Amino acid sequence: MTMRSISGSTVYNSALHFLSIAALCFVASPMLRAQDWFHLESSNGAERIRIAVADFKPQSADASAFKHAFDATLFADLNAAGIFDIVSKGLIPQSSPGAPAEMNLSEWSAPPSKAAMVAFGSVATQGGRLVVNGYLDDAKNAQFPQVFAKQYSEDASENEARQIAHRFADEIISRLGGGVAGIAETKIYYVKILGQNKEIWEMDYDGQNQHALTHLGTVSLSPRISPDNSRLAFSSLGREGFQIKMYSLLLNRMVNFTAAGGTNLSPAWAPTGNQLAFSSSRTGDPEIWTSDREGNVAHRVTNFRGPDVSPVWNPKTGAQIAWISGRTGLPQLYIMDADGSGVQRMTDGGYATSPSWSPNGQFLAFAWSRKYGPGAPGGQDIYIMEITTKRWIQLTHGIGRCDFPSWSPDGRHLVFANGSGARARVMTMLADGTQQHALTESGADMPNWSWK
Amino acid sequence: MSSQAHPAPSRPPLGSGVVGAVALHIAVVGVLIAVTFLHPSRKTPWGDKASSVGAIEASMVASIPLPPKAPPVENSVLTSENVTKAPEPPPKEKTAPPPKPTDLLIKEKVVPKIPPKVAPKETLAPPKRPQPVPVSPKATSGDAATQLPQSISHVKDGTATVTVQNRAFGNRYAYYLRIVGSKVTENYYLQEPDPIASRGKSVTVLFDIQRDGSPANLRIETRSGSPSLDNAALRAIQRIDTFGDLPEGDHITIEYKFDYRP
Repeated sequence: MTMRSISGSTVYNSALHFLSIAALCFVASPMLRAQDWFHLESSNGAERIRIAVADFKPQSADASAFKHAFDATLFADLNAAGIFDIVSKGLIPQSSPGAPAEMNLSEWSAPPSKAAMVAFGSVATQGGRLVVNGYLDDAKNAQFPQVFAKQYSEDASENEARQIAHRFADEIISRLGGGVAGIAETKIYYVKILGQNKEIWEMDYDGQNQHALTHLGTVSLSPRISPDNSRLAFSSLGREGFQIKMYSLLLNRMVNFTAAGGTNLSPAWAPTGNQLAFSSSRTGDPEIWTSDREGNVAHRVTNFRGPDVSPVWNPKTGAQIAWISGRTGLPQLYIMDADGSGVQRMTDGGYATSPSWSPNGQFLAFAWSRKYGPGAPGGQDIYIMEITTKRWIQLTHGIGRCDFPSWSPDGRHLVFANGSGARARVMTMLADGTQQHALTESGADMPNWSWK
Repeated sequence: MSSQAHPAPSRPPLGSGVVGAVALHIAVVGVLIAVTFLHPSRKTPWGDKASSVGAIEASMVASIPLPPKAPPVENSVLTSENVTKAPEPPPKEKTAPPPKPTDLLIKEKVVPKIPPKVAPKETLAPPKRPQPVPVSPKATSGDAATQLPQSISHVKDGTATVTVQNRAFGNRYAYYLRIVGSKVTENYYLQEPDPIASRGKSVTVLFDIQRDGSPANLRIETRSGSPSLDNAALRAIQRIDTFGDLPEGDHITIEYKFDYRP
């Protein structure tokens, strides 16, 4: 009140204003910075389970041929799971117990290995069959150490040895992962670039066992596996332009999907497996359409000037669709209810493509050039966004153009394409951006992780 | 009217009465003077030296024994005849002359020396010796003994404790309870409890884990007094869809206690 009488009080006031704003910024900035990472960090005190993997004991002479593949796969699977603190091979005891009777747990729980859990067992061949006995022991429970014991029997081959290791690893992960199934038996479908042609290929989640599915001799794009792993939808260039095609993994041949006019791209399965969403320009403008799994009963969902492409369903509820729309100029990420209502824009600028919805429905992964235009800094990278808050974090930094992220069914991993054109390759990482590594050589693009 | 009806009585003449009264007064005064002068008083005045009349004669009597004169007590100040001299008052203090203005030392501003910060040296904890375990007769029955928590995990701002009410299950499947503990801790968000209101408080929630690993019957056993801490503990459980299939049995009841100590 008295300030009003002071001459030049407005100057004083504005200075005060500026100071208070500056002070507010100082106070607020650490909070903002802290919020960027919120609960994606796993370091709020929850400890990872320390697990040791013993070398499996070969029970017969020819079993040692498969032992190496089995041991390496099991170790890699548990290491890639992202929930274990795995004891380095150099720290574990030299013994390789093949049965619980040969197990001396105190040796494993003592330093330097200090394991809380020990996986061990034996590998044997019996009449052309590979028999693996796998055990998981709780090293901290001297009274009742055994968590589970399983026997696996398959044809004796190195590939089957790897599959058994995947299954044993999945069993361990599902027992110790708190109800989230392991992904060691999941598959990744991708586009293999073969000169002018692009075919759909399949591989194990760790990049092993790569093989072709389609031999169409044309350009096939954006493979999407059905939730029950029985069908593969993709778009393929034919006489009528790009059409949605369907490949049955049960019959190992193409099955019917009704063609329509215009360009039909980027199919997406509803979590029920009875519906597909895709982008179709049959009415002139690319819009999101839905249909049943044979391509019939098609409905248009979006109706707005400008391209609408790359739909993806909310896998948790099946009630929402995220997609990319160019209705305001550059492509942006949107979500809406599956009937086309409740449209909500998620990104505030830049150039966004290729959304993928996390299995728990909480996050969207997508490729984004945040600053788009000639001479703009940064490139196209993988981001994830929490849908309720629209807060995002960047997962890839400075490894070149990244596109086509796809979530693993456990929600802990992402697979994506790195590089462009024939140099593109498929890479994987944990959902916090760590442990990035390539799964394929160059010439692989548009990966899609299976639902289970 | 009445004076006319009753005429005033006739009065004697004024002059003869007045003269008579004056003459009588003069006569009385003259008699009194005459008597005074003619018959002076024979009595000696009071206090005269006359032997028989007047003052009382006092004669000193030596025969009456008087109390002996007490010798002076030398040591008593009050009775001593040798009065000691009273101490002289202390000499008046001379006030110091006011200091000259030039004498005053103006203190220079002393910049307090800030000791360079040194990171506190971490003192290594003394090696732990195995403590003798007190022998309790109650522990053998198992019923009266205090339930020990099966899983304790320290989070950034407190301690989360998981206890299963079925002890046999807790012993047989200790690993499962460790998973439950870590999963709850993962889903507990540090920023949810109010840091001031929740300081030093603890909340206990109870829930069942069903056969398929999903939590059910979530309720608060002991409120902490801080609603934000109660809610944070409840939400940590509510966020969890499943803990993984129960290794055995139909359901177990879990007690989850969270101490907030930032």
